[in-house]
Amino acid sequence: MIDIKGLHKSFGKIDVLKGIDLHVTEQEVVVIIGPSGSGKSTLLRCMNYLEPPTSGTVAVDGIFLNSESNINKVREEVGMVFQRFNLFPHMSVMQNLMLAPMKVRHLQQAEARAEALKLLEKVGLSDKAKAYPEQLSGGQQQRVAIARALAMKPKVMLFDEPTSALDPEMVNEVLDVMKELAREGMTMVVVTHEMGFAREVGDRLIFVDDGRIIEQGEPKAVFENPQEERTKLFLSKVL
Amino acid sequence: MEFNFSLMTSSFPLLLLGALVTIKITALSVTLGVLIGLFVGIARICHVRLLRVLAAIYVDFLRGTPLLVQIFLIYFALPIVTGQRVDPFFAAIVSCGVNSGAYVAEIFRAGIQSVDAGQMEAGRSLGMTWIQTMRYIIVPQAFKRVIPPLGNEFIALLKDSSLVSVIGFEELTRRGQLIIARTYGSLEIWLSVAIIYLVMTLTISRFVAYLERRCRVDDRH
Repeated sequence: MIDIKGLHKSFGKIDVLKGIDLHVTEQEVVVIIGPSGSGKSTLLRCMNYLEPPTSGTVAVDGIFLNSESNINKVREEVGMVFQRFNLFPHMSVMQNLMLAPMKVRHLQQAEARAEALKLLEKVGLSDKAKAYPEQLSGGQQQRVAIARALAMKPKVMLFDEPTSALDPEMVNEVLDVMKELAREGMTMVVVTHEMGFAREVGDRLIFVDDGRIIEQGEPKAVFENPQEERTKLFLSKVL
Repeated sequence: MEFNFSLMTSSFPLLLLGALVTIKITALSVTLGVLIGLFVGIARICHVRLLRVLAAIYVDFLRGTPLLVQIFLIYFALPIVTGQRVDPFFAAIVSCGVNSGAYVAEIFRAGIQSVDAGQMEAGRSLGMTWIQTMRYIIVPQAFKRVIPPLGNEFIALLKDSSLVSVIGFEELTRRGQLIIARTYGSLEIWLSVAIIYLVMTLTISRFVAYLERRCRVDDRH
């Protein structure tokens, strides 16, 4: 589903990604962990070209991210959830969910509305359809953001530290929605610090440090028996 | 000092007619300026280098030369190039509108850049194009933030429109000059003219303050 080969990314003189090869298969839930500044968010953002790679190739569902039209095509199929939600503050929850399906997928308003209501029910926010983002709690905003991404019926969902900006008591309501998605077979790539989530939901755990994939494998195995020194050091700090 | 109050009252209707013309020029120039400013402001930050350069030249030239000279260029110099006489009304609207467009462009550019970068990322990640994201996400949010500086610009334009009196266009200032030429009542007439300008600018600033308040109260429509 996602194919990354020889991915390098530099910001000026700083090399953030130093050669990443990664293949994500359909319905797989890949969880990426690593210290801050390790490049894990940049890696995720390369998957929908929010960051253009310095070199290397990224392909999603067979489409290479190498031209403006391909990039838009890929983005239609790849949903993204941000750390800071990035809901559209001047639009109601419903409008947030209906905008892209109507403008990009050319859905009729009635169709888009029906779809949006279904998704709000799925994330448990049917009663907030007419609310505006600022009236919602962080957890609710993030659930709306997930619903907004799902409204495009994506094949892949990318999560960039989706719970890092939340108050602790709101983390679970967002993780629950993500678990539900994983159960339904959504292909997901999740950058997170939630080790419990990684262990419970992840099919594969990837440890990134200093712009490289240091270690990967079945989450339980990596957590309980890390092979690399750097992985051990990191896990000893976060677990 | 002699103060002829009846001259003030008797010339008032004539001055009001001039004020109406001033309002008309300002309204049309503001409309033209906002349209130009929106596009030039967006062009200044778009990813097409040529458009960015052209927009920067536009802004530099119009902010870097006096409006009075621009009025002369359009009214006196342009006919030499085209061989066609320029209508004073046309010259007034175009020079004020095009000039204001440069300032409005900078206001919009700043407003657009003040919108969180995450908004553009969210729009793009949903598959919307840059233009769609600008139109539906960024510009509507920027609009609210630029209301106060835009209000200042309108007030400045209303006052600057007095400059078109030099090409004989009969707006408020020109009317005042003409009445003084007839009556020698400099004190009374210039005082009246100033008061009328003040009433107009205060009306605009009150209206802008009202708009600003409304946008803050329901920060969503």
